[in-house]
Amino acid sequence: MNIAYPIGGFFLGVYIFFKGLIWLKQKRLIENMPTSKIRSLAMGLVEVFGEIVPAGKKMLNCPFSGKECVYYRYKIEEYRSSGKSGHWVTIKKGEKGIPFYLKDKTGMVLVNPSGARVEISNPNLKNRFDSGFGRDPPELVKKFLASRGLNFENFFGMNKKMRYTEWFLSLADKLYIMGTAQDNPQVEDATARHGVEDVMIGKGSHEKIYYISDRHEKDLLKRLGWKVAGGIFGGILLVIGCLLLIFLNFNML
Amino acid sequence: MAIGLGIIILTFVGLVLLGVVVYLVYIFNGLVRLKNNIKKSWSNINVLLKQRSDELPKLINSVKGYMKYEKNVLNQITKARTQFLNAKTMSQKAEADNMISGALKSLFAVAENYPKLKANENFMQLQGRISGLENELADRREFYNDSVNTYNIRIQSFPDMFVARLMKLQEKEMFKVEEKDKKDVEVKF
Repeated sequence: MNIAYPIGGFFLGVYIFFKGLIWLKQKRLIENMPTSKIRSLAMGLVEVFGEIVPAGKKMLNCPFSGKECVYYRYKIEEYRSSGKSGHWVTIKKGEKGIPFYLKDKTGMVLVNPSGARVEISNPNLKNRFDSGFGRDPPELVKKFLASRGLNFENFFGMNKKMRYTEWFLSLADKLYIMGTAQDNPQVEDATARHGVEDVMIGKGSHEKIYYISDRHEKDLLKRLGWKVAGGIFGGILLVIGCLLLIFLNFNML
Repeated sequence: MAIGLGIIILTFVGLVLLGVVVYLVYIFNGLVRLKNNIKKSWSNINVLLKQRSDELPKLINSVKGYMKYEKNVLNQITKARTQFLNAKTMSQKAEADNMISGALKSLFAVAENYPKLKANENFMQLQGRISGLENELADRREFYNDSVNTYNIRIQSFPDMFVARLMKLQEKEMFKVEEKDKKDVEVKF
């Protein structure tokens, strides 16, 4: 047996274990924070739930589908084969967002998604395109690749096996946000006539957490619960299992 | 015992212990945050109570010329406001807040009988502003009660209760609304 695998597994186990502890912290924070109504948001760390409303006339366009959105994330992968097996390698990824309003039954508040950890799980908010032998990528993808100096063809002019994935947040999508309510830099302090127009939700300077998800809070907590259990117990099991293999390899048991 | 087995057992015990210690730290920090959340949400209510209290003299000035025969209602508001300004503790403020809310409901209900008053732009603006503050107050009271509820559940649940006992944390009271204030105001014509 190649000893590199159990050694790699050992470090992976330690990483998963600590990741599990971090997820546990997030889970408890979300559980402990009551959801605020937008109309009565107070400054500081807040949890809100509502739907996306545009903040202006200008919208973003998704890089591969061209759909209108307020936030997108993309990933370009290339298939690299070695012998009989192969794997996908990410060659480019990125994200872009513009400020938007989040609206609930009581009001609207500006959200600046910059610096947020955005989780998009709804399959309707994901598009995937691919290219390969005899199959060109869509025109928008070609334009995007050209603008980034990337090529979907190899040295011989044949299409490489590639896939292009985008995730996006669009109008009327429902979002859960945990972030910091702070002064809206575009509005002078204490000049709000209606509700919280002088407030903006963004990344805080004191609070590290800034999280945007298209899941409901219950689903989010359920998923985090599984991740915590998997991370902590799975991490310990992996560490112990790999140690066993390492010591067996060196006849130390 | 083989050295390898010893290391495995030590690693297992070490990771479990680390997990337990980190969990206890999270519980401690979580309870501190919850306790401070309650303080903060009360302060946020207090800010709005103060804003509403500042609007009341303007409201009384704008209506007293029209509502000469409703002195009782106006006196109720003045009395409740004075009680709020003199209140020292949280429960005293909460009581005064309930009184003001009740008196305002009566005032706005009675104002329906005075068409000239309803046509007064200044009064309408003040009514809109105070109603807006009342709505925000209702939300923040709800938020406060949610914070207290989460805190009370946490300090009574396993395993948080052990850390809560060490921290000598005690159950907190929710923001109560008097039964009479929940009822609609009766208007006599």
